[in-house]
Amino acid sequence: MPYLGSEEVVKELRRALSNPNVQADRLRYKNYITKVIRYMTQGLDVSALFMDMVKASATVDIVQKKLVYLYMCTYASDKPDLALLAINTLRKDCADPNPMVRGLALRNMCNFRMPGMTEYIEQPIVAGLRDKASYVRRVAVLGCAKMHSLQPNTEIDGTIVNELYALLRDPDPVVVVNCLRALEEILKDEGGVVINKPIAHHLLNRMKDLDSWAQSEVLTFLLRYRPRSDDELFDILSLLDAFLLSSHAHVAVATLRLFLHLASAHPTVQADALLRTSAPLLATCGAASRELRFAGLCHVQQVMRSQPGLFGTHYKRFFCGYSEPSYIKFRKMEILVELVNDENVALVLEELRSYCTDVSPELAQAAIAAIGRIARTYSEKCLDILTGLLGLKQDHITSAVIQTFRDLVWFCPQSTAAVCQTVGACVDSPQDSEGKQALLWLLGEHGDQISSAPYVMEGYIDGLKTELSSAVKMELLTAAVKMFLCRPAETQDMLGRLLHYCIEEESDVCVRDRALLYYRLLQRGVEETRKVVTGPKSDPSMSVLTGRQEEPISEWDSTFNTLGPLAGCDLCPQTAATSAADQPSCRAENELLPESTDVTLSSPDDAEEEISLSLGPPLSHETFEKMWLDLETLHRQTLGFPRPRAAPDTLQAALQLVKIQTLAFTPGDTVPWKAYIYTRSTETLILAELLQGDQQAPGSDESLVVSVKQQPVNQHAIRGFVSVLKSVLQTLNVDTL
Amino acid sequence: MIHSLFLINNAGDLFLEKHWKSVISRSVCDYFFEAREKAVEPDNVPPVIRTPHHYLINIYREKIFFVSVIQTEVPPLFVIEFLHRVAETFQDYFGECSESTIKDNVVIVYELLEEMLDNGFPLATESNILKELIRPPTILRSMVNTITGSSNVGETLPTGQLSTIPWRRAGVKYTNNEAYFDVVEEIDAILDKSGTTVFAEIQGVIDACVKLSGMPDLTLSFMNPRLLDDVSFHPCVRYKRWESERVISFVPPDGNFQLMSYHISAQNLVAIPVYVKQNISFFETGSSGRLDITVGPKQTMGKTVEGLVVTVHMPKVVLSANLNATQGTYNYDPVTKILVWDIGKLNPQKLPNLKGSLSLQSGAPKPEENPSLNIDLKIQQLAISGLKVNRLDMYGEKYKPFKGVKYVTKAGKFQVRT
Repeated sequence: MPYLGSEEVVKELRRALSNPNVQADRLRYKNYITKVIRYMTQGLDVSALFMDMVKASATVDIVQKKLVYLYMCTYASDKPDLALLAINTLRKDCADPNPMVRGLALRNMCNFRMPGMTEYIEQPIVAGLRDKASYVRRVAVLGCAKMHSLQPNTEIDGTIVNELYALLRDPDPVVVVNCLRALEEILKDEGGVVINKPIAHHLLNRMKDLDSWAQSEVLTFLLRYRPRSDDELFDILSLLDAFLLSSHAHVAVATLRLFLHLASAHPTVQADALLRTSAPLLATCGAASRELRFAGLCHVQQVMRSQPGLFGTHYKRFFCGYSEPSYIKFRKMEILVELVNDENVALVLEELRSYCTDVSPELAQAAIAAIGRIARTYSEKCLDILTGLLGLKQDHITSAVIQTFRDLVWFCPQSTAAVCQTVGACVDSPQDSEGKQALLWLLGEHGDQISSAPYVMEGYIDGLKTELSSAVKMELLTAAVKMFLCRPAETQDMLGRLLHYCIEEESDVCVRDRALLYYRLLQRGVEETRKVVTGPKSDPSMSVLTGRQEEPISEWDSTFNTLGPLAGCDLCPQTAATSAADQPSCRAENELLPESTDVTLSSPDDAEEEISLSLGPPLSHETFEKMWLDLETLHRQTLGFPRPRAAPDTLQAALQLVKIQTLAFTPGDTVPWKAYIYTRSTETLILAELLQGDQQAPGSDESLVVSVKQQPVNQHAIRGFVSVLKSVLQTLNVDTL
Repeated sequence: MIHSLFLINNAGDLFLEKHWKSVISRSVCDYFFEAREKAVEPDNVPPVIRTPHHYLINIYREKIFFVSVIQTEVPPLFVIEFLHRVAETFQDYFGECSESTIKDNVVIVYELLEEMLDNGFPLATESNILKELIRPPTILRSMVNTITGSSNVGETLPTGQLSTIPWRRAGVKYTNNEAYFDVVEEIDAILDKSGTTVFAEIQGVIDACVKLSGMPDLTLSFMNPRLLDDVSFHPCVRYKRWESERVISFVPPDGNFQLMSYHISAQNLVAIPVYVKQNISFFETGSSGRLDITVGPKQTMGKTVEGLVVTVHMPKVVLSANLNATQGTYNYDPVTKILVWDIGKLNPQKLPNLKGSLSLQSGAPKPEENPSLNIDLKIQQLAISGLKVNRLDMYGEKYKPFKGVKYVTKAGKFQVRT
């Protein structure tokens, strides 16, 4: 690009343009003008030719006119004084008998972005609004908006606004839509164009005359309108019905959004609309253009938040092709995970397995993580696949599999034994820090079940000097301390070495502090350390809680068909969960804090009395005993049914599901049967005893008696607690009968 | 709505910009370049990029990025479809949409962009109407233009949008009245190692070229309309009649347009025209491998398979291929690692076979992933779904038009795993 020689070029062009011989020859003249434009588009500054170009605008040749206008629009703001000279020509063109010339001149005049333009363009615009050619009216209407944007802070001209509202009834559909667009811009500070009943119905009736772009925009404008009655609502919906199946995806999606918005009080109508739009959405997912496919997938994902089953039978549509771009593959995998059910699980897993060996490591890791998510429901099959992947001995795959194992053990504790066995048998270790952290976490948390754990860990401790990542070192410290607590004999020596190194030689302050913390903690005694370090492990009810629930449509319909979900700022809860799971140590601490495990329950007995129970930090046996003896019984009640015959584990799990912690109970069929349980509610701690078959307690022969103590007293919480407890025990009784 | 448009080529040169509102500095594209670099392959650039003050929505077509700058919230599908429409219009006007044709026709490109959008809003995008505003360049016309100095701009306004039917202009006149329909079906399929279908569906379109005088009202009926699962029509089709009678009734636009597109996904209906027997293996030692591919006809309904091309994306460690093809030519590009075997016509008596050895980078481990095969093919005079046009009737005009239907089946995303 001749940036440097620009002066020479400009000089030469000026000489040519002002040469009367050239001016006389239309063709040569136009060629030079084209040349100027070409230089301009290449980024060369040809603004010095402004005067010569203005002269060239006085021509009958429309193409030449267009070129000169293009030139003038580009440089007008740099040369406002010279541009004023051109305005006369333009105003003359605005009165040309050819509507095309009129429109062209008007449009370009409005495009001059320089101060003081308003006084020159106002009159032609107003004239243009009443022009008999629709082409000119279209330009003039948008010109109003441009004129307003030249002086954004001035008062809005009421007459123009009124005129634009009147033009909404124009016979030309493009004029109608342009009016909406212009009004929206002019009235931006006042909340945009007002859609009242007559306007809404007028627009609805014009819908079929509009082109697809206009349809889509009108549908978006109609979101502002609220029908007065159900009859009106259904009239509107039936008018729009055909657009749900429009061949333009953007119209179909815009219609769907309007449907969801208007019918927010009619869930069946919403569900029906979703069902009907599923076909065009799926078609978009298979479109030839990859960008459209991507947008389609994002919309499908949103719909699935409320209707997970809608695309179940079409799961094969979401299988990835080899040549698809990775952003599509990621989305497809996320969708596949959601679509898994008993029938297709084998095929989906087989498909995901083949992605695990993809050339791109990110994709392979995402595929492995996807299998891990499915493993929460179908653990056995997935564990087989994941174990098989370890056999490939590829670094990135091993690392991803170990990370997946870590998350799986956390979410689905019943798979712990199998995972531990695999990890124990796995010979090569991950090389990246993420993978190392995951492996160390597994070793520390479940060291008692992995026989080779101390030896693997020793390898890491020996290689500590070459380890760069402080996150790995921190994880190593935690894991070593945990391991020491369960297998002291094998670990004591290496833990000593590790702490010594980290305190004496480590340069990273965080690691040093962590080491010092553990050191002081261990000085307080092993039991103290155990209490702090090995808190309760993940809770088996969690997989139930993290399971996918159907969200109400109102959760996402406001972002439907907007940029958010495509740009990735709309994190659906499930992705948020996986990203949090990447830091297991901090997650582990968070999860056990009382406020994060709150669960709100409404008891079936008294619907209006809602009470929220939470697990909170566990109570030790001693504390419980002390409190039990200190407190008065506040409430005693015969429940009216015998104790559940379920296995102790089931009972414990069931109670935990409703956030009631079991402290102790007498085994099996001993009489009297007793159980001690506790829970926390808003600000209070509730302790309770379940009793059956005790001679001294009246009425406990055949039925359970519950005695409740509490600190501080809150009768409302007790009532709630008892009703929750009752419903759980009753459910268990029904199950075991 | 759409603030600005930048066209950027594969090498990262910005070669055209157009602003519909105030001028936005080119530096906004730095965010795009950043994403482009991160994506490694041009295919992988995410379509929506967020910057502090704008959104950049881009499409990648014919090795050109169309990057649009958005300042306010817009429906993303809208912008993506619009950008594709821009690219299609260029293709329509210049025969192909490439950097060189855009640069050669820069004047027309600007004219088009000016008419397609005003103040950032789409105005005229129908090719019928655009072509009346700005005539496409033809060799003959550009010669005439150079001699006479006339321009390729319509002197009168298009009447199209003022007629009662927005997609058809009034007063069309032809000496030869003809209506042609092309039924084009593409098979998207994934076959696994053993040849069983993992996934298959047919994407079909019916393209029409209608040059009829006056206001003809056409009715197209099929022998087997129940085949079609999801259909979407050009706005001119009367949807109610399709729902009740399964015939397509419409007043056509003038010229070329896409009448309908459809989708057949029921797996038993999707015939797979060819089978592939392949064996690609890499040896543990000796850094070499073997390749053996045979292609044969499967369900071709007695028609000939033409234009058969097998493309294999080889693993990175494959340095060269020493193969022997019984038919056609093969070519291995060691840079892109793509093996292309151009077979041509498939002869069922003598099945084409490609066999030989692959040499790998010495010392590199045996590749884990198996390459997959992409197949391209064409079958004339056959719609693989079995869809057949029954008849075309015309009402409203007196003359007798010349009618024709052509069928063609192509491979879309047709992939065989190994």
